[in-house]
Amino acid sequence: MVKVGLRSLLTHKLRLLLTTLAIVVGVASVTGTFILTDTINSTFNRIFQDANAGVAVTVQGHQLRGSGDDIGGPAHAPVPRSLLGTVRGVTGVKDAVGILQRNGATFIGSDGKPLGGNGPPTFGTNWVADAELSPFHLREGAAPSSSDDVVIDALTASKHHVVVGQHILIAFLGGAEEQFLVRGIASFGGSDSLGGATFAIFTEATAERVLDGQNMYTRINVSAVSGTADTDLRDRIAATLPSYAEAQTGQQAAAAAEQSTEATISTFIGTPLLVFAFIFLFVGSFLIVNTFNILIAQRTRELALLRVLGATRRQVLASVLLEASLTGLFASGVGVLAGILVASGLTALIGSPAGTTLALQPRSFIIGIVVGTVVTVGATMIPARRATRVPPVAALREALPETQGLPRRRIASGAVVLVLGWIAIGVALSGATGVTLQLLGGGVLAVFIGVALLAPLLVRPLALVLGWPVRRARGAAGLLAGENARRNPRRTALTSAALMIGLALVTSVAVLTASFRASADAAISGALRGDYIVFARGPAFSPQVADALRSDQRLADVSELRVSDILIGSSSQSLVAIDPASENRTLTFETVSGDVGSISQLNTAILDKGEAASSKVHVGDTVTITFPTGPDLRVRVGGIYNTNALASGYIVSLATLAPHVSMQRDFTVLANAAPGVTVADGESALKSDLSHFPLVMAMSRSEYRDFVGTQIDSLLNLVTGLLLLAIIIAVLGIINTLALSVLERTREIGLLRALGMTRGQTRSMVRWESVIIALLGAVLGLVVGVTLGVALVNALYSLGIDHLAIPFGNMLQYAVIAALFGVAAAVFPSIRASRLDVLQAISTE
Amino acid sequence: MRNPPPYMVLMMSTAPEAAQAPVATNAATAAARAVAAVKEYGRGATSVRAVDGITLELARGRFTAIMGPSGSGKSTLLHCMAGLDRLTEGSTYIGDVELGSLSDKELTLLRRAKVGFIFQTFNLVPTLDALDNIVLPLTIAGRKPDQAALDEVVRITGLGDRLSHRPAELSGGQQQRVAAARALVSRPEIIFADEPTGNLDSRASAELLDFLGHAVTDLGQTIAMVTHDPLAASHADRVVFLADGRVVEEMASPTADGILDVMRHLGG
Ligand SMILES: Nc1ncnc2c1ncn2[C@@H]1O[C@H](COP(=O)(O)OP(=O)(O)OP(=O)(O)O)[C@@H](O)[C@H]1O
Ligand SMILES: [Mg+2]
Repeated sequence: MVKVGLRSLLTHKLRLLLTTLAIVVGVASVTGTFILTDTINSTFNRIFQDANAGVAVTVQGHQLRGSGDDIGGPAHAPVPRSLLGTVRGVTGVKDAVGILQRNGATFIGSDGKPLGGNGPPTFGTNWVADAELSPFHLREGAAPSSSDDVVIDALTASKHHVVVGQHILIAFLGGAEEQFLVRGIASFGGSDSLGGATFAIFTEATAERVLDGQNMYTRINVSAVSGTADTDLRDRIAATLPSYAEAQTGQQAAAAAEQSTEATISTFIGTPLLVFAFIFLFVGSFLIVNTFNILIAQRTRELALLRVLGATRRQVLASVLLEASLTGLFASGVGVLAGILVASGLTALIGSPAGTTLALQPRSFIIGIVVGTVVTVGATMIPARRATRVPPVAALREALPETQGLPRRRIASGAVVLVLGWIAIGVALSGATGVTLQLLGGGVLAVFIGVALLAPLLVRPLALVLGWPVRRARGAAGLLAGENARRNPRRTALTSAALMIGLALVTSVAVLTASFRASADAAISGALRGDYIVFARGPAFSPQVADALRSDQRLADVSELRVSDILIGSSSQSLVAIDPASENRTLTFETVSGDVGSISQLNTAILDKGEAASSKVHVGDTVTITFPTGPDLRVRVGGIYNTNALASGYIVSLATLAPHVSMQRDFTVLANAAPGVTVADGESALKSDLSHFPLVMAMSRSEYRDFVGTQIDSLLNLVTGLLLLAIIIAVLGIINTLALSVLERTREIGLLRALGMTRGQTRSMVRWESVIIALLGAVLGLVVGVTLGVALVNALYSLGIDHLAIPFGNMLQYAVIAALFGVAAAVFPSIRASRLDVLQAISTE
Repeated sequence: MRNPPPYMVLMMSTAPEAAQAPVATNAATAAARAVAAVKEYGRGATSVRAVDGITLELARGRFTAIMGPSGSGKSTLLHCMAGLDRLTEGSTYIGDVELGSLSDKELTLLRRAKVGFIFQTFNLVPTLDALDNIVLPLTIAGRKPDQAALDEVVRITGLGDRLSHRPAELSGGQQQRVAAARALVSRPEIIFADEPTGNLDSRASAELLDFLGHAVTDLGQTIAMVTHDPLAASHADRVVFLADGRVVEEMASPTADGILDVMRHLGG
């Protein structure tokens, strides 16, 4: 029996290749993701270890309330510079240095555009002479010594060809751009950079000024005299520290940074990639079920003969499963190797430091192989069970009757799975539970399986409808294509269902983004009254920007939206502060209840409808707001406003916020053209006013609307790009099904050729069958996708997605692309069909 | 082996001229011809001459049966004459058209227009019902069936109430009658049938042969049929006997007994 399985495997190399490819893609994604995240983590770990190598103890403020995981560790409050003296006085301290490091010192290229900063942070910091206590090591040049000196990180230097001795512009969120002399090039923790972040390193006095240091250090690094244990020194320092500061050993600091970084990488890279890997495997498993189903149908006689000759059911099962496990093992083996390629490709893509060696842990390979093999064998269980039910008499029958209709049990189970899926989605989207994402994923999965189980019911009617134009246009080839698509509903259904999955996911994301876009459009039109909007990518910026605009006579009503991180209870949020006078001039709030105008009173806040509903806050309630450093604020809720494109959550007046934050930061500035100035003139005035603030973007209202639209669309494009792989796997499935069907219909095709069907007509017949299968998948995918998308949009109502938009244009495009994929899938099988030797075909037994 | 009868020698000698002058008298009456046809399978020591120099003319409006022991080259000859396979040497004609010079596409179009087929098994497309199967050659050619001709064909097959059934729902005899109707409906130049009654019982065989006989006498159809059954062959106007790839005997207006005699004679 082993021989039977092996022989069957080796005689169909094409089938093996296609089935294998589906698994290879999934396994490569799984293994590649693990290798990638391991590599990134180990790179960071090395950097943190190196950067903290000489640091015995680090002193910082407490971790900022509400600050989460981040690359390099969670944010801590700064400490006053005076603390340095206290620390230096502790016995066992060899040296202690103060480090000020802030995000928002961005290099500006000769074209006036920021170098980097579109993603990773752009840090500014001070040079520390004691090499033991500094994460930086000079590679070239010298340390900064005068006020306009800067040392830059090696990554920026090599990427943008910056050399020692040249001048470079640096823009600060605390102010305008300034020119510096590049004195040296340094590495961070032995590496070119910290995960793509840029570093500008100044003298301490310059850092204090340009980074808005305000007499603070981000942290104090301490080295120990020899013979003093780090932990002892830590405890001794801790004993002298005031309550707002804390001490960690260098190792603890490195470990905290590593842990926080790993969590961040897993959230933003690992988990999303694994979700896609899972989708690929899921689609691939459809392909496997289908392939083995067809094979077993074709081998019915052979299997029955084996049964006649005395093989037991178990032996038949074993022979099929053996074939599946070998296929799975082979595919997974190729998959994990491909995973290495995927990982190195992605590592290069995200711009990991040169010379990174991939972290190849056995775990990555073991998981890949196990997952691939288990999915393959698991997907084969259903067809394999069918193989065991082939009765010995089947060997004697002329041919098995075609399966008409579906067994009731299957219809019932399909319906049950479908309904359960929708219930799970409904519960997940109602937001009632903590396991929302898992529940949503499980629900979507169940919907796909349910539709796949029920799809055979739809094949006949849908193929009839979709086949009609083909029949009209393509005569005999069209007629036969339609009949072929309908002749084995389960096969057609399963083949299209694989395509449905990818298309349904793309469609639901398209519905979501289109609705998001429509909602954003409406919200911008509703809330933004100003002619212009100014904002920055990355952190909030200095009030100097608004000041620069205020001094321009051609602009009027310059108003800023200020922001601070806050905690309300234990939930971290942002607090927005506006000038109450700007209401109705540059922005507007729609009152839901209470009085939105009450914001002009001190210590009064307004709140958006969604947040009010979810936190059960009403007009007249008093709420306590906690700031990262400053004193608490108790506000009365004066009004509830309708969710809005510019600001959400709690909003207070600038005067209310001022006493609670040490640093004023704006995230948006709005303005109008002054009376008598055209909008276009005002815009050019605005842009020239901001020419020294390269980090902020200024746009007219319509430009802003397009900008937001483009941002949303790029999300759609990213997701579509990744899901394209799932669609390609499904196309492999179509190729496989067609190729096997052509093989199965050898005699029939021979007969048609004998009767005068040309090669072209034969190709056309296979091609149109493929198109019908693909369109069937498209129809199912679009319907499931729209339903799913509508459910998502409804669930996200409170996030401000309050307009439902169905992207019919995109959907039509998807259907056309699916049809084209159908044509492409048919290329190989149709050539094979048209090349069949007529005589051989009609004399094949 | 016997020598060919004298008139065949005569035909062989005139054949080259016939090829050069396609409108010769012979060609005008022949629906299909083979001239010095040779079909060799394989090369060198293991080669088999399935057809070994056959010259044969199938007269228009006549029913010819081809008989001979298993492996004598009947199917091979039929395939080559029908344009399904190519000769190693010699030539075959459908009407005036020499098949060897045609491309695959031209051969396909020629088959479509001028040749009908009935095979022993697997004659029908399983996804199409009986009527669609009957008109399939016309559908493939993008032609509309002539309703009167179709009605006529359907009437003589006696399939009236079965036309919407798929092949799996028809008996073997009914399936073969559908195949015959299909071969007939486009009024081809010639119908080639390879053991069409091979899988049928005597009654179903008789029905099919009656049907084919009517096609010849009533509609003037030309038919060439390979068969092992003397009774079947006795429906033909003429029987040609093959052995080892050659024509070894001929019989006009055959009777079953006469055929049995020849077979016994040859079979030794
Ligand atoms: N494709 C092929 N390759 C090699 N030899 C072949 C091939 N087809 C037929 N032959 C040989 O050619 C000879 C004639 O075969 P053919 O099928 O024409 O016989 P037949 O008279 O139709 O026999 P039967 O009555 O059994 O159908 C046989 O010896 C056969 O083995
Ligand atoms: Mg034969």
